Amino acid sequence: MKIGLEVHAGLPTKTKLFCRCTNHSKEPNTAICPTCTGMPGSKPVLNNSALKIAFSISKALNCSSSKTIYFERKVYFYPDLPKSFQITQKECPIGSNGFILLGDKKIRIRRVQLEEDPAKILREDGYTLIDYNRSGRPLVEIVTEPDIQTEEDLRMFITELKSILYYLDVDVEQEIKADLNISLSEIRVEVKNITGTKNIIDAARYEIQRQEKLINENIPIEKETRSYNEAKMATISSREKESDEEYGFIFDSDLTVYDISKIKAIKPIYASSMAKEYSQKYGVNESQILEAIQFNKNSLGFIERFEKNYKLKNILNSISLLQRYGSKNDVETLEKVIKIIEQGHYPDQKDIQAIESGKEITINIKVANTQEIDKEIRSMIDGNKNLLKESATNKKALNFIIGNIAKKLKVNPRLVSERLESLLSSEHKVQ
Amino acid sequence: MNSIEEFNKKQRPGDYYIKLNSELVKLNEKLNIFNTISQENISSGFLFSVKDNICVKNVETTASSKILKGYFPPFNATVVERMKNNGFSFLGKTNMDEFGFGSFGINSEHIAKNPFDERYVTGGSSSGAAAATAILKYHIAIAESTGGSISTPAAFCGVVGFTPTYGSISRYGLIDYSNSLDKIGIMARKSEDIKYVYEKIRGPDSHDTTCVDKKCTDTDKKKIILIDQLITGLDVEIEKEFLLFVKKLENLGYTIEHRSLPFIDKAIPSYYIIAMAEASTNLAKYTGFKYGLKNNDFSQQYNTFFTNARENLGPEAKRRVVLGTFVRSASVKNLYYSKALKVRSLLINELNKILADGFILSPVMPIKTPRFEDTNKLSPLEVYKTDMLTIPPNLCGFPHISFPYSYLHGMPLGAQLVTKHWNDTAIIDFVSKWELSFNYDFKYNLGVLR
Repeated sequence: MKIGLEVHAGLPTKTKLFCRCTNHSKEPNTAICPTCTGMPGSKPVLNNSALKIAFSISKALNCSSSKTIYFERKVYFYPDLPKSFQITQKECPIGSNGFILLGDKKIRIRRVQLEEDPAKILREDGYTLIDYNRSGRPLVEIVTEPDIQTEEDLRMFITELKSILYYLDVDVEQEIKADLNISLSEIRVEVKNITGTKNIIDAARYEIQRQEKLINENIPIEKETRSYNEAKMATISSREKESDEEYGFIFDSDLTVYDISKIKAIKPIYASSMAKEYSQKYGVNESQILEAIQFNKNSLGFIERFEKNYKLKNILNSISLLQRYGSKNDVETLEKVIKIIEQGHYPDQKDIQAIESGKEITINIKVANTQEIDKEIRSMIDGNKNLLKESATNKKALNFIIGNIAKKLKVNPRLVSERLESLLSSEHKVQ
Repeated sequence: MNSIEEFNKKQRPGDYYIKLNSELVKLNEKLNIFNTISQENISSGFLFSVKDNICVKNVETTASSKILKGYFPPFNATVVERMKNNGFSFLGKTNMDEFGFGSFGINSEHIAKNPFDERYVTGGSSSGAAAATAILKYHIAIAESTGGSISTPAAFCGVVGFTPTYGSISRYGLIDYSNSLDKIGIMARKSEDIKYVYEKIRGPDSHDTTCVDKKCTDTDKKKIILIDQLITGLDVEIEKEFLLFVKKLENLGYTIEHRSLPFIDKAIPSYYIIAMAEASTNLAKYTGFKYGLKNNDFSQQYNTFFTNARENLGPEAKRRVVLGTFVRSASVKNLYYSKALKVRSLLINELNKILADGFILSPVMPIKTPRFEDTNKLSPLEVYKTDMLTIPPNLCGFPHISFPYSYLHGMPLGAQLVTKHWNDTAIIDFVSKWELSFNYDFKYNLGVLR
């Protein structure tokens, strides 16, 4: 099975790609000008900031770039395209021949290109509306080689890509758009214009099953373009034929040739490899680290700041406590929480709120006392002998005990866990 | 009414400018110079008109195309802005071949007639600009050339027409024909007016990436080069008059040199391929949807809707859209479009070598000014061939100037002088020197100076 992806992501610029209209308007058709509505006489002028971000993305995806790039016109007729051509890149993309690493697997990136977004079409009952706010917004199109081989790889690829883009300030809350190429046989089927990670994966799953079924029944698979219907969770034949022949790409001579060799790319951050490094360095579960930092710059910043002073596990626990209970997410509060946890306490919601409001929190926290913990554990075990037996095979039951005691005594669950382990081993010896 | 004297006799004090304005409207009815006349009164000395493919804020701008009827740009072209900022008064929009597609000014709903003799064409595509300059005494025409649209009508109407280096005057506000070839230029009755205006309107513009400012080294201002291929196959009378003119220049102290460049005949196919390919993308936006002629029947499928709207393009525009779309298509792109680009860059190299030694001089047109009925006999291909002398400098973006050098059977004859990139003022200065020994004739001298 071969899966290839074409992902479109909007760039975090103040203004659009070829005009000075804001990139962040809400009210329909308020951020428009002669250029992004294609008025006769208007001219595009390239947004250098978009060029820099697109270049940084291509570098982050390990692409190579030529010294200069240029733009081309892709001509097609559709109501969302006011000039009836899209300014895009074909012959000379901003980056090519890159890759993303998913652990040991390498997913090759064929090309990264910079282009303008068409307007937004809103289909209503009996009529259609067009919002030109989106027309001319900067996009990168990221095209992979068909190196994705399983649904899980697809999910990991999208998440990894989104994380890389997130660290380059791309708004990944905005759902990414993608075209999927899936071939189980020699025949390639394209599923176009899918919005959102979940839909991309659902569409892939449906299409894989559809093609498997056809193969099993010896029915030939048609080379075609399909679309994804979210409500039906199915792909549907588009019966539209498009080819490069009809697009008639030519150089856009309203723009020039741009030297990108001197652009300083923004340094990429790969959360997944950082999680791996931290995990190896401090012996903390890799996925717990990744979960904290994959889409959270603050968390990564906290870890980088405190890793030398405190235990990584405690930093991560403090981060998740603050995320759950806190309203502020500042470094001072975090450090207070870390210190409390380092002392073996485990603050609850009230404690966090108290810390945030600047109160002295020591009054709310009892001093950790192993004897007290041991006493609690014993009474818990004594009250329920079965629990002990179950705990040998049932990790959940054990965690339940730990959680309850930690809560009751307001101590760090890790401390309870340690005591419980030593007590249990001695119990086992006795038996 | 033939002269400013006659015109002035009829004037009543107080209604001078308005009168002038309405007289121009009458003239318009007769000669079809203007598509629209500005509602603003003419309030200061020099007037300027603007070719109808250049945007003037809130003034209907149609590039003489039915498909753009009702397009009132919400902005001024940079060149219009700069003219106004320099105290020129906007007079009106001048007629042209639809989207600039034409050599004679006949591809338009209303056709401008030659002020020297109304039986003759004005030349195109800046037909109204040239006619207005031949009629109005104190007036500057802002025109535009893609393949000869300034030189040709300037020659046929006996005025000076200047096409600058590609990229030296901002194209912001120009309704595109072929973006890599389009150049906004100037027509006037005297070269010194052109020089004055050129200095005011040229130079970088934040709205047009391709508009820049460069300097170049001086060239020999006394050497005239004739390219053999450009002075053969001319109309017999044109050839005779042109060689007399060359003799005159020799007598004035210029040295004449002959060169051969057989390859130059590839300029015409190269030009038309590039121009049509780009035009077909530029005209794609006219779908009757967002500006210009609008179709409010939204019951059709969008493809049908767009196709119906494009019915409103004229026959020459349709021809260029079809041919241009064809040469862009993937399977033939390397056969035509890519080759045409190679020819262009080769030609720039070859002509640069020649232009390093001196100016290139030729007639503007290989034929005499045709009468309207003569143009009907020409096939589109024959019309394209008449551009053989104006296309090389236009294809290569070299600055060139068209100016009257003689009169034959009462009609003016124009010559074209070409120089290397960014050496624009040298050719304007050449014409200024020529004007010291040659007087231009004008049949009309309408207009006033404050």
